[in-house]
Amino acid sequence: MTYTAGIDVGSTYTKVVVIDQENRIAGKAMTNTGFQLAQAARTALDQALAQAGIGAAQLAYTVATGFGRHQIPFADVTATDLTASARGVSTLFPHTRTILDVGGQTMKAIRLDDETKVKSFRLNDKCAAGTGAFLEKTARYMGFSTEEIGPLAATSKGAVPISGVCAVFAESEVINHLSLGAAPSDIMFGAISSLVDRSVQLMKRVQMEPEFTLIGGILRFPSMAAVVRRELSSEVNVPAGELVQFTTAFGAAILGHVRLHKIESQPADLETAPALA
Amino acid sequence: MAPLTFPEWRNQPLEEILYHCRELLEDTDFPTVKRWRAAGGKVLGHFQVYFPEEIAHAAGMLPFKVRGAPLEPMQADSRFGSYLCSILKTSLELALSKRVTMEMFVTHPICDAARNLAAVWGRNFDYPCQILYLPQNANSGFAATYLRNEYDRLRREIEQIVGREVTDADLRRSLAIYNHNRALLRDLYALKRETPWQVSGYEAYLLLAVGGMIPREEHNELLETALPLLRARPAKKQDKIRVVYEGGFCEQPPLDMLRALSQSTYVVDDDLLIGLRWILEDVPTAGDPLYNLAEAYLEKSSYSPVQHDLRKPKEEMLLQRIHGAQASAAVVTAAKMCEPGLEEQVAYTHTLDAHGIPYFVSEFEENMTSFDHLEIQLETFVESLLFA
Repeated sequence: MTYTAGIDVGSTYTKVVVIDQENRIAGKAMTNTGFQLAQAARTALDQALAQAGIGAAQLAYTVATGFGRHQIPFADVTATDLTASARGVSTLFPHTRTILDVGGQTMKAIRLDDETKVKSFRLNDKCAAGTGAFLEKTARYMGFSTEEIGPLAATSKGAVPISGVCAVFAESEVINHLSLGAAPSDIMFGAISSLVDRSVQLMKRVQMEPEFTLIGGILRFPSMAAVVRRELSSEVNVPAGELVQFTTAFGAAILGHVRLHKIESQPADLETAPALA
Repeated sequence: MAPLTFPEWRNQPLEEILYHCRELLEDTDFPTVKRWRAAGGKVLGHFQVYFPEEIAHAAGMLPFKVRGAPLEPMQADSRFGSYLCSILKTSLELALSKRVTMEMFVTHPICDAARNLAAVWGRNFDYPCQILYLPQNANSGFAATYLRNEYDRLRREIEQIVGREVTDADLRRSLAIYNHNRALLRDLYALKRETPWQVSGYEAYLLLAVGGMIPREEHNELLETALPLLRARPAKKQDKIRVVYEGGFCEQPPLDMLRALSQSTYVVDDDLLIGLRWILEDVPTAGDPLYNLAEAYLEKSSYSPVQHDLRKPKEEMLLQRIHGAQASAAVVTAAKMCEPGLEEQVAYTHTLDAHGIPYFVSEFEENMTSFDHLEIQLETFVESLLFA
């Protein structure tokens, strides 16, 4: 059995997926990225290998992706999260043409061509506006944890409009709404709706087309996917369970097998340059 | 006794040595030149691409490679048109802003802009500003003799500045020191070609580029220290594609651009600061040293878009460089507004197309500060090769 690993060093969490040559997930793990990126990646990889029941020596190839991909010295190669996400999504949902990836501090819209290669993409601005950090901060201002975002929004009776998606200025707006008696669940749902508005704008800029697939940590909350579905007036794919957060790492691991296969079948062969007269 | 101009790296571990090299390269106050002058030394500034530094060295001067800097050309902007390359302006800015003071400046007719640099420079300073006329026709049977005489003319000019004769014995001593430097640089390039995981293209550049700012004896010591440390460095061999970088012969790409390039690829050969590595073999120290130096320029030399030698068609030379380094792709760049570089880019890409060698094309400017787009374009190019 040949195993590969994909390490997605995200801005908030580092995710690792170990797969076999049939793309079956043998192990996965996640840890806070923190500021020691290589250490976080090593910790998560060790956990994923332990879950898979294999040792590091049995790992044939490792692909690092995500914003911290260049900080992983033990990876065999790096891949952009665009390519890794595209590979992961197209394996799970082969008819996907548009991907929305909402992470802790980044948001990406990716358009795929008919061969499921990246055709175009757009990223959010440099700040964390309209990303998971915005929702986390909104929840924190109201005394809720990140994991409570989904359940809280699910009890909403109607969204309180949040005018912006700036994680800094949201605080004053949230406090204002609370002081006017708005329910935290409605504020949370309003924040999600605001974020989705921004996501859809980003998707429009890549000339979105169905099928749509949503990935990233924030999509583990069903309310987020529900709002996107409503805004797009279309069905959306969401990887099941925790996989929604591991799709990019999964794609990176698949790229590892692609690379292994290529190395085995196509030894480097460069055309000889003509000799000088 | 020559002053120590760059003591910071001494007795430091490898990572610190590389750090200090970067610090020096980014310091637009040019402390090594200032230290040299503070000790009473004289400086000869020479513009890109190639200059026979041995002649200035033999006279006891510090040959300083004038290759621009990442700074705003506040004063120089008024001396040049907006359609000219950045290195021309920032090089003059170094002198106008008194960041670098010198006793002589030499440029070369490598392009129309550089040809005019000596005249513009000379209008602003009272020290000699010369053009060294490297042979336009490298294939003439008289080219070596002509160049030897041109070098001799330069020697006589330099003698006026230092107030003493520059003898053949002085030149032979300098040739030997520079031969050693060339050998060390060849070792550095062999290392990055053979085990590129031990020295990235970016790190090799740091070690190379400081050579244009310090006495060659000091550079030799630096390389003699760094090379064994690099060879002993524990590093994982990664599955990066091997590329040749072309386009750094005159204006230099920003360090962060080279760092980004090295993150995604193994840069196994390049033409960065090719003037410092122009002569490929030892120059004989016996016989007429100036003739030997002139002959080496013509017969034992690399290639660049600013030397026209029918024996060295540049597209074929690039193919040889790619083949010799066992690279699988090329990164072909040119500085903005660089006529020779942009012209050659067309020929390079046609040839690479004809041979089915994948390549990535880009432009740069020494004052660039944002590399996000370039980085992602480069990475997706690499991915198209790795995962297709």
